[in-house]
Amino acid sequence: MQNRQGWIRILVVALVMSGCAVRPPEAPVEPMTASVELEGSPAMALLQRAESARQQGQGAAAERYLERALNIAPDSSWLYRELADLRLSEGDARGAEGFALKALRLAPDHDDYQASLWEMVATARDRQGDRDGARDARSRAAALRNPVARPV
Amino acid sequence: MAKKTNKTPARSRGQAQRKKSPSRKKSAAPRRRWFSWAFVAKLSLVLLVIGAAGLAYLDAMVRERFDSHVWQLPARVYARPVELYEGRVLSREDMLKLLDLMRYRRDAAASTPGSFAVQGSSLLIHTRGFKDSDGGETPKRIRISLSGGQIRNLDAGGDGLARLEPLQIGSIHPQHAEDRVLVPLEKVPPLLVDMLVATEDQSFYEHHGISLRGLARAMVANVKAGGLVQGGSTLTQQLVKNFWLTSERTLSRKLLEMPMAILLELHYSKQEILEAYLNEVYLGQDGARAIHGMGLGAQFLFGRPLEELEPHQLATLVALLKGPSWYDPRRRPERAMERRNTVLRVAMEEGALSKADFDKYSARPLEVVPRGASALYAFPAFIDLVRRQLARDYPPEVLSDEGLNIHSTLDVLAQLASEGALQEHLNNRDPGEKQKLNGAVVVVAPAQGDVLALVSNRNSREAGFNRALDAQRPMGSLAKPAVVLAAVREPKQWSLASLVEDGPIQVKLPNGDVWAPQNFDKQAHGAMPMVDVLAQSRNQATARLGLDVGLDKVAKTMETLGVTRKVPQYPSILLGSLALTPFEVAMMYQPLATGGFSTRLRSITDVLDKEGKPLARYPVSTDEVVEAGPAFLTQWAMQQVVEKGTARSARAYLPKDLKVAGKTGTSDDFRDAWFAGFSANHLAVVWVGRDDNAGAGITGSSGALPVWARLMGKLPQRSLSQTPPNGVEWVWMNPDGQRVSAEGCGDARRFPMMEASIPEDTDGCGSVKQSGKGIKKWFKGLFD
Repeated sequence: MQNRQGWIRILVVALVMSGCAVRPPEAPVEPMTASVELEGSPAMALLQRAESARQQGQGAAAERYLERALNIAPDSSWLYRELADLRLSEGDARGAEGFALKALRLAPDHDDYQASLWEMVATARDRQGDRDGARDARSRAAALRNPVARPV
Repeated sequence: MAKKTNKTPARSRGQAQRKKSPSRKKSAAPRRRWFSWAFVAKLSLVLLVIGAAGLAYLDAMVRERFDSHVWQLPARVYARPVELYEGRVLSREDMLKLLDLMRYRRDAAASTPGSFAVQGSSLLIHTRGFKDSDGGETPKRIRISLSGGQIRNLDAGGDGLARLEPLQIGSIHPQHAEDRVLVPLEKVPPLLVDMLVATEDQSFYEHHGISLRGLARAMVANVKAGGLVQGGSTLTQQLVKNFWLTSERTLSRKLLEMPMAILLELHYSKQEILEAYLNEVYLGQDGARAIHGMGLGAQFLFGRPLEELEPHQLATLVALLKGPSWYDPRRRPERAMERRNTVLRVAMEEGALSKADFDKYSARPLEVVPRGASALYAFPAFIDLVRRQLARDYPPEVLSDEGLNIHSTLDVLAQLASEGALQEHLNNRDPGEKQKLNGAVVVVAPAQGDVLALVSNRNSREAGFNRALDAQRPMGSLAKPAVVLAAVREPKQWSLASLVEDGPIQVKLPNGDVWAPQNFDKQAHGAMPMVDVLAQSRNQATARLGLDVGLDKVAKTMETLGVTRKVPQYPSILLGSLALTPFEVAMMYQPLATGGFSTRLRSITDVLDKEGKPLARYPVSTDEVVEAGPAFLTQWAMQQVVEKGTARSARAYLPKDLKVAGKTGTSDDFRDAWFAGFSANHLAVVWVGRDDNAGAGITGSSGALPVWARLMGKLPQRSLSQTPPNGVEWVWMNPDGQRVSAEGCGDARRFPMMEASIPEDTDGCGSVKQSGKGIKKWFKGLFD
């Protein structure tokens, strides 16, 4: 009974989708950048300082800048992403995972960005030897990269 | 053994007698030989050798100690630097309070670091600069406009950021109590050196360690007084005394002092000797802490760096040298003033100060800051926390000697607000001499885990028992959010709308006792939604819920939240029989405040060496311990405690639209009053009770909540997010808690619901559109 209903629903969806197919494709989504969250915020200046400290190999200074930036913009997903990335580059996979998950919690509705965060989680889990966790994170990333295959 | 002792005296007596008799006979001959020239020559040689050896020893001692002398510099603890940026919530009043605490002085042009000017609606501030792990700040002049309780405009050059240097809030010397602030000679005001030389040792630049002129003058004075009243010591001799010898005025000391002073001058320049003197000299006592050196003296007396002192203040420091206790400007202001003016006059006579300046500065008051007004040692409870943290990572001698700079997380304004709120409330409730109630406050920035304030005593300047860290008390109803969280983590069974029976409940314990909790009002309210159980803090319903969910799961949830003590699986833990310290409660509530992310609480961010080079960081780290959905639901339920539950009286102190959450707690016999609650950026835990653990007649609502509300009302707050995470939806529910309803339908209420909790059934009122669940379920059916 339920199965038959399911088939009927798929039929309905297929019809609707065929309608969509002739519509022009949607405009590409703007890539997620720091300025989406931090434009005009003093935290942006600190983020830039952190980036240049990192380029000069000053990890501790970069981290301090990012912590200061978070005090100013505490809900910025991007700043947590930066911290996760910093931790990953410093070999602290556990710390990176925590920050990446926090970044995901605060992330705007942006599939590619969220996928990149899940990929970061996957890398961090891999490095901690958490194969199952990494696989789960990767499949979430894949689903976001390819929304058609995305389970509801 | 006993035999031996009887015989020995007899034999020795006999031997002595035998030896004595010949010497008596020939007594004249050896005496004559005593004075022979040969003997004198030999003796002179021996003395010369001994003298030379002694001198060589002294020389080695002087050089070894001076060369290798490492100043014992205790670790210094600083509050968090004050970050300034446009849009920051900061009232003009608080800004001025900060400048005052940091002893910024008013100066129309803000010409030097540590000064500021009020210019209309803006402030011109000349910051002092400091070192930090990100490089820190150089001193600079900034212009800041404050209005409407925030920074409207900041002109700081560069990328528009500025920080005020962190306020020093203490130093750590676990082994001994010697304290100093090292100042290199090039940073010492030249006038101080001029005054010092003029009053203490006018021939300093000419003599070679000792001054015969000075000695003669002292001897005359001593003869007149009939005893040792003046040393006639040069600065070099005084340094020797401070460095190597005791302060006793004995002849032997004097005899050692002179050759050592000469040796010191032989090896070291006047500049080196001066620098050592200025940093070593003893200037007084602050309780158990000995004040050494002009740098610390400046801070101790005037609350400012030495470089910022004015001539009359420098003169006060020089005045102290003659007798730190006798001329103590706090206890003996008249004497100190007289001596200070003598120093100023001598400086004028020696050409170091103009007549006009003499007139000007000798008319100034002493301007010493009152003892205890300094931020140093003002926050003993917090410093205690820092000390405990440091002791885990650094050996005591490193902390006492190496001049580490510790950057802490303390927020001075949050600390002062917490102290004020606790004191004000307890003075109202428990006035008079015999104070029985005391309390503790912990304030944390939940996202980063920074401890912003820690109060452990209603008289917050008093050190002693650290209630915030060590008073372990039953947490009472503070445990209830953990019961709710454990329930909503099983969304197929429970939602916040689920009805729970509030009525008599009895549990037979393994030892045969019966546990039968009572409600606070001794009444049973019947079935009620879980959210109301929490908001109204119903004991019997919570007990029933917790037992249904499972004690093991509740205990596990408490541990997940950060309770590090073993949580026993007794039913009484559901109502908070577990005893925690206020700090541990803050740890447990921190993940509730951040939507499920656990962050280690930290009191230190950075450790720098004495030159300001970064040594270690204590970085933020965070772990997801509770899933987004259940965390959001629990936080929302805790908001209802403040909106319409046992903490609604707090609303009067808070901005109207601010969304905060929390929980009251009261232990048996009204011994402990708790409130733990948070906004998006501040988590505060308040405990009030008695040290003797007697009944205090207080509840969480009456005893602790007012402190929390007052202090939260004084700090800039951000609302908790009302946007549900993925997997949570707002749903109108029928009062039966089992059917979806719609807005405006009878007594329907709106709840955040985990998708798995949303019932299929509706009560037929309104449409199902409101949940969105129907459509989602419909799509989900495609793949089932």
